[in-house]
Amino acid sequence: MTNERKIQKKKTHTVIISLAAAVIVLAVFCVFIGSSHMSIADGFQALLKKSTPANNRIIWNIRIPRVLAAVIAGAGLSVSGLIMQTNLNNPMASPATLGVSNAAVFGANLSIIAFAGGFLSTGNNLASYTVGANPYATSLMAFLFSVLSVLLILGLCRLKAFQPGVVVLAGLAIGSVWTAGTTILQFYATDVGLSAAVIWTFGDLGRATYRTDWIMAAVVGVGIGFFSLVSWHLNVLLSGDASAKSMGVSVNALRFACLLLASLITAVCVSFMGIIGFVGIICPHVIKRLLGQDHREVIPASALAGSLLLLLADTFSRSMGNGSALPVGAITSLLGAPFFLAIIFGKEEGR
Amino acid sequence: MLEIKNLSFRYSGGAPLVLRDVSFTLKDGEIGILLAKNGEGKSTLFQTILGLRKPLGGQILFDGQDLLKMNRRERARYVGYVPQEIRFGALSVFDTVLMGRISYFHLRAGREDEEAVRKILSGMEMEEFADRNVLELSGGERQKVAVARALAQEPKLLVFDEPTANLDIANEQLILQEAKKLSRERHISVLTSLHDLNQALTLGDRFFFLRDGVIQVSGGREVFTEKEIKRTFDADVRIMEIEGKKVVIGG
Repeated sequence: MTNERKIQKKKTHTVIISLAAAVIVLAVFCVFIGSSHMSIADGFQALLKKSTPANNRIIWNIRIPRVLAAVIAGAGLSVSGLIMQTNLNNPMASPATLGVSNAAVFGANLSIIAFAGGFLSTGNNLASYTVGANPYATSLMAFLFSVLSVLLILGLCRLKAFQPGVVVLAGLAIGSVWTAGTTILQFYATDVGLSAAVIWTFGDLGRATYRTDWIMAAVVGVGIGFFSLVSWHLNVLLSGDASAKSMGVSVNALRFACLLLASLITAVCVSFMGIIGFVGIICPHVIKRLLGQDHREVIPASALAGSLLLLLADTFSRSMGNGSALPVGAITSLLGAPFFLAIIFGKEEGR
Repeated sequence: MLEIKNLSFRYSGGAPLVLRDVSFTLKDGEIGILLAKNGEGKSTLFQTILGLRKPLGGQILFDGQDLLKMNRRERARYVGYVPQEIRFGALSVFDTVLMGRISYFHLRAGREDEEAVRKILSGMEMEEFADRNVLELSGGERQKVAVARALAQEPKLLVFDEPTANLDIANEQLILQEAKKLSRERHISVLTSLHDLNQALTLGDRFFFLRDGVIQVSGGREVFTEKEIKRTFDADVRIMEIEGKKVVIGG
């Protein structure tokens, strides 16, 4: 092993280990801070379930599920973005390129406006607690529509052998159909329904429960597991379709599986948490700037970077909202975009 | 030995044939040069041999084995490809060449794959490049990396699409020497296309003149005539012998 290789390996390890350490430290830190002004000592007591029932509940039912959601959704969205960029050969590709978010928003709007679902009209208002108002109904509807949208687009693109340009355009077109549907729904909505529907779209990790966390963890875990398994195939894909095929990679099947899994990750995150933008663009790009494009390294590093960004953004949003957190989706872009610009316009780095 | 028999191709049902009963042979270690005007089916023929396009009919035989009956992975062990426009990801030269082994190792590269790559890099005198990022290399060096990657497939045939199209003269010579070395030392057949007819004459062992989807003439240097070039390219050239070597002089 030459010196250059050793330095590169060391850099990769340093980046991945520091990211992992930062995620762990911040996650622990986040469990102990929040708007209830619980002391650290009380927090520890509550962690052992030995504090007041209120404190125990805050730690175990509110903060821990929320922190887990940030770690899981951050990792999922970031890796999903990376996979989209590799598979569509497009740096602008994001977790939502297949119109997943638009479809999820339409599904949620349909559930909230047409079937009086959604959290505003359920937990807060028992009067409207009807069949359609199960707190999970909106998420389920959002998920169903995003899966429908993905299957529709991938089904269409099969006709064109999943050419990247075609996939991007099909995603754009079908996404805009969902958005049009949403606009029409909102036009007919009541004031309450409309505000509930709009607030739903704001990404908010406060919606997390253990159940949503486990569902997200399962989908994100399967996705990242699969992508890691085929990381050499993804590396080969960077050489272009013709070269990859000539090396023996079944490009169409690989692309189909990757687009489907990446979109499912996005669908499940958006359906439970609302839209959390930009994580899937910023994190993979920062990591690729630092480490290059070897997916064996970039997949775990992007996952950690996504978790870190979402934890940071959530901490920030919780400390800004004066008791009720600001939408984390806005914070990721607010925090991320300037940093992102600095990297793009900053000094060109070799690898 | 590569034997192409009665290969036909068209883009869609009613479209005219781009390749019509194309047949030729190339022995192990020979360099074959496909000569045709742009748009006459050169790339289509390469893509068909590489399995990127499905022919209407015909056979592509390698020592009697039909490439068209193999799956992608099996075929990758017979035919390597160096495209005209080379694209790489930001990986080291070593890892990029290692990609050529993917049809052998499936998911994770093993020790023997790394050993094979090390051998190829040292054979091409590229060891000192091994840990450089491919994106930092010059055009000629990148092309060498692409050749090394194709060699990692341990192919019997190397398809080399316009190898000198994007290179300056020094790199052009470098890559042509490399192609010659492959055929002479490793006995790999090379199928290529070149715009420069003099380069073609220097490099090639066999020449295939393609026009209207048909191989009009094939053979050694003796078929390389003014008449044939007029027929294939619609260009007037003169061919002279200088010190026993054929030289093409344009216009």
